[in-house]
Amino acid sequence: MTTDRLCPVLVGTSGYSYTEWVDGGFYPQKTRMPEMLELYARSFPVVELNYTWYQMVRAEAISRMIINAPDDFLFAAKLTRTLTHERERDWKQEIARYREGLKPLQKQLAAILIQLPPTFTWSVSNRYYLSWLLDSLHDFPVAVEYRHISWARDSVFAELEQRQVTLVTVDAPSMPKLFPCLDIVTNPELFFVRFHGRNIQGWQSGNMQKKFDYSYSREELQEWNEKHLRPLRTQAEKGIVFFNNHVRAQAPENAKLLQQIVA
Amino acid sequence: MVDRHIIHLNITDFAVAVERICDPTLKKSPLIVAPEHTPRGLVYDMSEEAYQDGVRKGMGLAMARRCCRRAHVVSPRISLYRKAMKTLVKQVNYYTPLVEQGEEDGHLFMDVTGTHRLFGPPPDIAWKLRKQMKKETGLDPVWSLAATKLVAKVASRVVRPYGEYIVGVGEEHAFLAPLPLTLLPGLKPVEMKIMAEFNLRSIGDLARLSREQLQVPFQKRSSYLYEASRGRDVTPVLSGEDVSPSCMQEHAFAEDTQDRKEINYTLMTLVHDMGRSLRQKKMLSKRLVLVLSYSDGRSVSRQALQKNGTDDDFMLRTLALTALERAWKRRIRIRSLVLVCDRFVPRSPQQTLFVVDSARKIQQRKIMAAMDSIYDRFGEAGIRLGGE
Repeated sequence: MTTDRLCPVLVGTSGYSYTEWVDGGFYPQKTRMPEMLELYARSFPVVELNYTWYQMVRAEAISRMIINAPDDFLFAAKLTRTLTHERERDWKQEIARYREGLKPLQKQLAAILIQLPPTFTWSVSNRYYLSWLLDSLHDFPVAVEYRHISWARDSVFAELEQRQVTLVTVDAPSMPKLFPCLDIVTNPELFFVRFHGRNIQGWQSGNMQKKFDYSYSREELQEWNEKHLRPLRTQAEKGIVFFNNHVRAQAPENAKLLQQIVA
Repeated sequence: MVDRHIIHLNITDFAVAVERICDPTLKKSPLIVAPEHTPRGLVYDMSEEAYQDGVRKGMGLAMARRCCRRAHVVSPRISLYRKAMKTLVKQVNYYTPLVEQGEEDGHLFMDVTGTHRLFGPPPDIAWKLRKQMKKETGLDPVWSLAATKLVAKVASRVVRPYGEYIVGVGEEHAFLAPLPLTLLPGLKPVEMKIMAEFNLRSIGDLARLSREQLQVPFQKRSSYLYEASRGRDVTPVLSGEDVSPSCMQEHAFAEDTQDRKEINYTLMTLVHDMGRSLRQKKMLSKRLVLVLSYSDGRSVSRQALQKNGTDDDFMLRTLALTALERAWKRRIRIRSLVLVCDRFVPRSPQQTLFVVDSARKIQQRKIMAAMDSIYDRFGEAGIRLGGE
């Protein structure tokens, strides 16, 4: 990959349909949920779909959603929790349903995000499971976000590189067992960044509203840009960056700030 | 207009789920919950496997056993299901006071509109609740999220027995359109029959008809059908305090009976318990409803009204006997009696200014007060109102 040019980077947020973003000023007052995606797409070219983690993705729901976005708008879809955090059902059936449900999105799919829980450690059974999962999604662009430090090893990165699977770079509170912030590019076609905020107390609270309650300052984002984003941009064809600190509309505010910095 | 966020939690086959938690060995075979030792007991609930074999709620137990010979049968324990529901409501109340529950059936609606600042996005609340219920009670609910109760209920029906469904605001019509009419709540068998005659198969078929077109075959129900087929439902989630209060007393006969003496005696017992309960609440009831269930599973309800309200056993007895006369028209044995009093007004502590109670009335009131104190001290066997 060329090292002397910076690839384009698309900035967006994790989810877009938050009623508190109306109170927070990102959406105009009285905006209703069906109008949100269209308004969101005026500010950002990409969004991460959060709701696909909560429920199995369904083709009819996806079809209804994408008509509200421009044709060149991109989506990153989280893998459903029944395949990552709550593996109680037959995963082969679940993955088949997921693939089927995602079909209408194929042309606008930036990546499938496999977000693994902190309890998913580097063990033989988990490695086998992840390998099966990646095999069954081999024809999709896939990004993997580890939450446990045990996966931070060269053999893992080499395997991802061989499979052309993106390793997600995360900005999160610095905590002992949490996967660190690494600007390693395992897929030269795409890098994937997620900003979770740096609220250490909130992260440990178990309350989502506290966990993602953080606003990055311009200085923090400028520093991040210099330290991580630039190196990432020299190693890939394209990059996507999402802000997950959705509380009080801090995510779209920070995403706009980063757009300015990157520009 | 504020978009509402209503979560519907539904524990499929609630009685079965509770029984299986109490006795995990019941998971090994299909399960039917029905009164075991009464002839022609009706099925109260059944597991999915029994349902697949053809067992249905309200079916005679003998027939149910023939449909599913490998099924295990246990008697219903209503108080246990009530207790389980209370536990669930307690968990749900942490997130919102607006919780509407069904009658020991594992259905809960909760309105979480405006709670995002405290608890985050509604899907996260639903997911957390499901996880919490599973961990703490072992019950695994289906959950759905929608802008109306009606759509949330349909969404739960779509995914049950396992799963979840989020219907986005504004997607109600598109979500409902392809679904079969059988999933739309509140349709009566006679309406289903008319719809079949008109070749209406899906909810979308129904939604294509105008109000005027629906008016012809469905008359008063046309308005409901018009709105429901479009996913429109403005009914609020009613918490316990909002639901119209009522008092209920019930009795199931050990053996189905046609013996008028036995039925009258039982009714008097229920009346006395009801009167006592009203007096404790310091409430007068303006309506008494009697529900008779016959041996063949059919039931009928009739009411009797008292304009000013009453908590008097003697008056309640008159109302109950009137309702019984109105309800008991078939020559079939009776399985159970349910007495409901509602339309409450508070009993005034003041004496009436001009209308003086008759001596007999005063005497009756004294008798009841004495009976209540004997009852409190010696229990229900202590004293009873005599029959004719």
